[in-house]
Amino acid sequence: MTVHNLYIFDRNGTCLHYSEWNRKKQAGISKEEEFKLMYGMLFSIRSFVSKMSPLDMKDGFLSFQTSRYKLHYYETPTGIRLVMNTDLSVPNCRETLQQIYSTLYVDLIVKNPLCVLGESLQSELFNSKLDSFIRALPFFSVRAA
Amino acid sequence: MSRQSNRATDSKKMNSELFTLTYGALVTQLCKDYENDEEVNKQLDKMGYNIGVRLIEDFLARSSVGRCHDFRETADVIAKIAFKMYLGITPSVTNWSPAGDEFSLILESNPLVDFVELPDNHSNLVYSNLLCGVLRGALEMVQMAVDVRFTQDTLRGDNVTEIRMKFIKRIEENLPAGDE
Amino acid sequence: MAIFSVYVVNKAGGLIYQYDNYVPRAEVEKTFSFPLDLVLKIHDEKVVVSFGQRDGIRVGHAVLSINGVDVNGKFTAEGKEIQEYLRDPANYPVSIRFGRQKLSSNEKLMLASMFHSLFAIGSQLSPEVGSSGIEMLETDMFKLHCFQTLTGIKFIVLADPRQSGIDALLRKIYEIYSDFALKNPFYSLEMPIRCELFDQNLKSALEIAEKAGTFGPGS
Repeated sequence: MTVHNLYIFDRNGTCLHYSEWNRKKQAGISKEEEFKLMYGMLFSIRSFVSKMSPLDMKDGFLSFQTSRYKLHYYETPTGIRLVMNTDLSVPNCRETLQQIYSTLYVDLIVKNPLCVLGESLQSELFNSKLDSFIRALPFFSVRAA
Repeated sequence: MSRQSNRATDSKKMNSELFTLTYGALVTQLCKDYENDEEVNKQLDKMGYNIGVRLIEDFLARSSVGRCHDFRETADVIAKIAFKMYLGITPSVTNWSPAGDEFSLILESNPLVDFVELPDNHSNLVYSNLLCGVLRGALEMVQMAVDVRFTQDTLRGDNVTEIRMKFIKRIEENLPAGDE
Repeated sequence: MAIFSVYVVNKAGGLIYQYDNYVPRAEVEKTFSFPLDLVLKIHDEKVVVSFGQRDGIRVGHAVLSINGVDVNGKFTAEGKEIQEYLRDPANYPVSIRFGRQKLSSNEKLMLASMFHSLFAIGSQLSPEVGSSGIEMLETDMFKLHCFQTLTGIKFIVLADPRQSGIDALLRKIYEIYSDFALKNPFYSLEMPIRCELFDQNLKSALEIAEKAGTFGPGS
């Protein structure tokens, strides 16, 4: 079990934060392009599922998986979007993402008046707390490469 | 998470008079810095807005409230949860417009004005205008454009303090950046 | 437990087959007096609720009929703009039926090709080497399962999140496709499937899967 990477986007699609742990493959495009592609994909998935759904949805899109990884998605009503890629054996991560939002993002970024909202996060404290938070997750383990 | 267990207590351990006095100092300083009351009202609203756009995240993180799909629901959440959480009061929600797009929050007491007597030369000052900005900013972040204003104020001799909120529109989701 | 629908998409992203197996009804009719306490907007040439939900009417529901007469997109049966009509107090009280708009065949085509590209992007953004595209997509109301054959045909099934046995069903549909579409000499590759036998066999496969899924082991 492992965590590959994590993206945080704001409502306008700006990538506020990106970090990776056990990522074996890059997308073959610049990071900026990758963020755009990721956000664009999420945006399309949201509109796709809202049209496809036979019933009215509450939370909407939660996750998807391919043959090699699983993407977990959490979105706040303010449009903050958290995306975490893990391997397939990791169960539902909604609560984990919610915790990253409420204990790390809100406390360390939103309440820090020096952090400008809507720009990529420059907080050292946030980065290190997030890193230790992820590393402490029960399903985080570094596999031998 | 240790942080999480602390927060319930640390959010309550503050003297509310210090808060009231701080707000008072802020308003009087603005009154010194700006010529007329209108300008001060505008500044208070602006500051409130900047607080609101951040405070909403804290609110969503701490309460497990989801997105509102009805203005009545919004009114309830503001009065019963948000005001309770941040000001320790629960205003009543009344005076609905027939179309359900306007309502009033009636505040029996307002912690911001505990020691305040409005001098005669500040008859146009909306002392607690910060609150309007907070509400406007917070709701804007959850895709709701609203108009918020004080229509009654105990500081001006009214019996109660009344905040009137009017729903203007839903702010439609922005398209992804760079999506020409 | 339910299987909602089946889509078959060719390798170019074109929808070649679609079947709605179970469409839950979500419609509400209510009589309103002036003014209307819902915010409506035009979306995709339909009038939908953008804000305000109660009595079973939900955000996203479209206006389906007014006073018992079906509407035509954003116009009433008489050809008036619905929003204009509802702004006139003289037309009240009015009875409006709201519900989830059913997908038109055009929208289905569009959604199929949209998924086709999402599938590809999902593979490109993989943090691991050698990943397929999206095989399963989960929401709180349904799960979408996709099986792509080596030849690039995608079989997509939309089902209740608790429905099991979908992987087996997808293989079964592949079999049915090769038996009753491919082997039919009058079927031309990559083109829409219009074969009686395919329809019949698909329906019975869905029935079996729905029944077995309730009791059977997880897929």
